[in-house]
Amino acid sequence: MIEAELIEKKTAKDYGFFKFKLSEKLENPDAGQFVMLKALDEPILAKPFSIYSYKNKNLTLFIKRVGRLTGKIFSSPIGEVFYIRGPYGTPYIETISREKKYILIGGGSGIAPLNFFSELYPELVYKKLYGFKGGYIRELFEEEQSTLVIEEESGKTVVDVLVDVYSEEVGILACGPIPMLKNLPHDSYVSLEAVMGCGIGTCKSCAIKTKEGIKMVCKDGPLFRKGEIQWEWI
Amino acid sequence: MGVDLSVEIFGLTFKNPLVLASGPAGFGFELQQYLDISRIGAITLKTITIMPREGNAPPRLVDTHGGIINSIGLQNPGIKEFVRTIAPRLKDLKTIKIGSIAGFTIEEWKILGEEMDKIKEIRAIELDLSCPNVEGKGMWAKDEELTQEAIKAVRESTDKPIIAKLAPDVTDIVKVAKKAINAGADALSIGNTIEAMRINIETGLPFLKLKTGGLSGPAIKPITLARVFRVAEALKVPIIGIGGVMNWQDALEYAMAGASLIGIGTAIMVDPQAPLEILHGIESFLRQKGIERFKDIIGIAHRGGF
Ligand SMILES: Cc1cc2nc3c(=O)[nH]c(=O)nc-3n(C[C@H](O)[C@H](O)[C@H](O)COP(=O)(O)O)c2cc1C
Ligand code: FES
Repeated sequence: MIEAELIEKKTAKDYGFFKFKLSEKLENPDAGQFVMLKALDEPILAKPFSIYSYKNKNLTLFIKRVGRLTGKIFSSPIGEVFYIRGPYGTPYIETISREKKYILIGGGSGIAPLNFFSELYPELVYKKLYGFKGGYIRELFEEEQSTLVIEEESGKTVVDVLVDVYSEEVGILACGPIPMLKNLPHDSYVSLEAVMGCGIGTCKSCAIKTKEGIKMVCKDGPLFRKGEIQWEWI
Repeated sequence: MGVDLSVEIFGLTFKNPLVLASGPAGFGFELQQYLDISRIGAITLKTITIMPREGNAPPRLVDTHGGIINSIGLQNPGIKEFVRTIAPRLKDLKTIKIGSIAGFTIEEWKILGEEMDKIKEIRAIELDLSCPNVEGKGMWAKDEELTQEAIKAVRESTDKPIIAKLAPDVTDIVKVAKKAINAGADALSIGNTIEAMRINIETGLPFLKLKTGGLSGPAIKPITLARVFRVAEALKVPIIGIGGVMNWQDALEYAMAGASLIGIGTAIMVDPQAPLEILHGIESFLRQKGIERFKDIIGIAHRGGF
């Protein structure tokens, strides 16, 4: 595994940016891919995190505090060392059509891979809508105020706002909580999250059911056509 | 001084004692990209059943202190598809391949044994008698009579070496082990995951869709190690020690307790390269102790130690 030293962090309540200096380069990380990140001992498994940004061995992750590992990351001092492997998963660009521009719809930590996508493929971005519940999140996004959709302030979710800006010519590329993804148009591309063990397609922990049978989110995804997924199984 | 890590049991020579345990390594093909499988003694393939199985609904995995709990539920393409699409590719994995099967009836055990028998690349057959993640009849190894019947059925269907994968959480593992050997097993895998669960206190519901699953990883090592030790004390039979091997120290403990081969499951999921580090550690340890052959430490705990 590659050593990842925490060199910067900026948090607001349960969300935060974490920048790591890696001891080795990642091999051509692309948008939509994730790394498996692990603490030295507990918890035992590595957990998947989408790449928010990557440059010169500097890896930035946008993390929501949910469990033991993320809790540990939030409470870690600068200089703390973690371990990562990857990047894994199929880059979004290999799944989507390049003929269209996309509305990037993110919910919570789901904005991470969308940010990396907009860094690498700005010409494919039509509009960005990043949804959060509370206004405190503004602290973390000084430059991006216009893309933020704060439910608490406007009473609108990203899906409500989408209805106003949607047109047939643009595609939708979304990552976020399941209820949000379920409310998107049929032909949207949705990036799924799953509990992962290996991250490389061997352990069968991250299964989803599709019209073509069981697929692994880590290897076959994380991006799928919304209409291809059997949502009732999730 | 070179250290000889090879192990010969049931007519096969393993270049070293490490076996990728059934499940976490899949059929080896995806893993091959991240781990040079030719450097590992053997791989036990993901368990195959008669019918294709989707596995259980997610979530199928949750971590816990000292381990992980999974309820994959034997997701596999079924024996027909295995024979058609997986078996022809097995020659690309340059190590000993052990097939793994799970029947739900005696008839199924027999058919699975026959089908595995026909695949040249499969050098031994492991009977998964102890999967906690299938409803109904997954846990043959909890009952010594059922264990015996399943092994007999496979014994009649093949001349290949057969390995009975036993459950560590039984009242008297020595009793089950004896029945397994009497029924014709050439070796024993001890053991498998142990039924376990976690509850999400926010929702008040179990984390896993199946409610309970199988615990693996460091938490189970002391438990399984004791079973390996007990069986090795009572029987002269090759044992594959499996459960919570995360590093070379763990692997050596199993060998000293009497395991000829050592299975690695969870550690591969944590880090696909882990088996190589374990191998390296075993080799350095033996060199430092001035022991030329790995074989010499197998069961040393029963012989008064060093
Ligand atoms: C994700 C996962 C899937 C597994 N699938 C199988 C299986 O198909 N057949 C089987 O015999 N054991 C299966 N096992 C059990 C392992 O082979 C092994 O016996 C167990 O995990 C204990 O070893 P460990 O602590 O090194 O993981 C599985 C274990 C895990 C964690
Ligand atoms: S996490 Fe192991 S198969 Fe996807």
